[in-house]
Amino acid sequence: MFLINCPFCGEREQSEFKAGGEAHIERPKQPTELSDDEWAEFLFMRKNIKGVQFERWNHAHGCRKWFNIARDTSNDQIKAVYKMGEKPPVK
Amino acid sequence: MLNYNQPIKEQKTYQGLQMSEINPVMKLIIRGKKREFLSAVGKSLNMVLPTKANTSTQSEKLTALWLSPDEWMIFSNSVVKENTNTYGTETLLNKNICKLNLGAVIDVTDQFVRITLKGDKIYDLFQTGSPFNFNEFRYKIGSVTQTIIAKVDVIIHNQNQNEVNLFVRRSFSEHLFSWMNDSASRL
Repeated sequence: MFLINCPFCGEREQSEFKAGGEAHIERPKQPTELSDDEWAEFLFMRKNIKGVQFERWNHAHGCRKWFNIARDTSNDQIKAVYKMGEKPPVK
Repeated sequence: MLNYNQPIKEQKTYQGLQMSEINPVMKLIIRGKKREFLSAVGKSLNMVLPTKANTSTQSEKLTALWLSPDEWMIFSNSVVKENTNTYGTETLLNKNICKLNLGAVIDVTDQFVRITLKGDKIYDLFQTGSPFNFNEFRYKIGSVTQTIIAKVDVIIHNQNQNEVNLFVRRSFSEHLFSWMNDSASRL
């Protein structure tokens, strides 16, 4: 359990949010030209590191907007919250 | 009002708490992002939409609640005539917003149930089932929040001191009301 500072509504409890997985994964420009392995890499493979990870979150029970956060997976500390389309803060 | 059956049939009274449904009330959800949208709504309704997060504005007839940066709920302050299904406000907004492609207007009168709570124990009741911190909310008249109570999505509007409007989806309203009664009986 932790608090997330929604960029639209302010600080709310985690249970109001839904996690949306790793952020900043770019869809390949020409999916048809990829091999099965490369496509699987894009579709399924996620970093899942111990340390700061960039994630997408949705304020599902509030404003229903998507945004990104930088979260330290080892202690659930949130280093930064930023809107969709914005560049991730440098580590 | 398409559905004439009130899901919540009675008013409940506890020490320091009163709960009942206000019915029928016109409710609309309006969505739009453009600046022209905001000014068109302002001109049509003669009121300003709240652009600051978690706030509301009120005119003589209507109240507008901020739900998200591009979404608002508008409801009528007083009860509307029961045997009607068309609302002047909706027709006006349809003409000035939908027809001009500025945004969307959705009638949610039957979707949401408005429960009014009165008394000094309101926030003690909410605290038993909500993760939201009401400490600042309770002293700011006009503030709005969307959160969960007993796992049910709700919109809460601080109407006045010790008077709160709670909007909940119709299909959840009976359950939530019975849950609140159960919780209130043990405050």
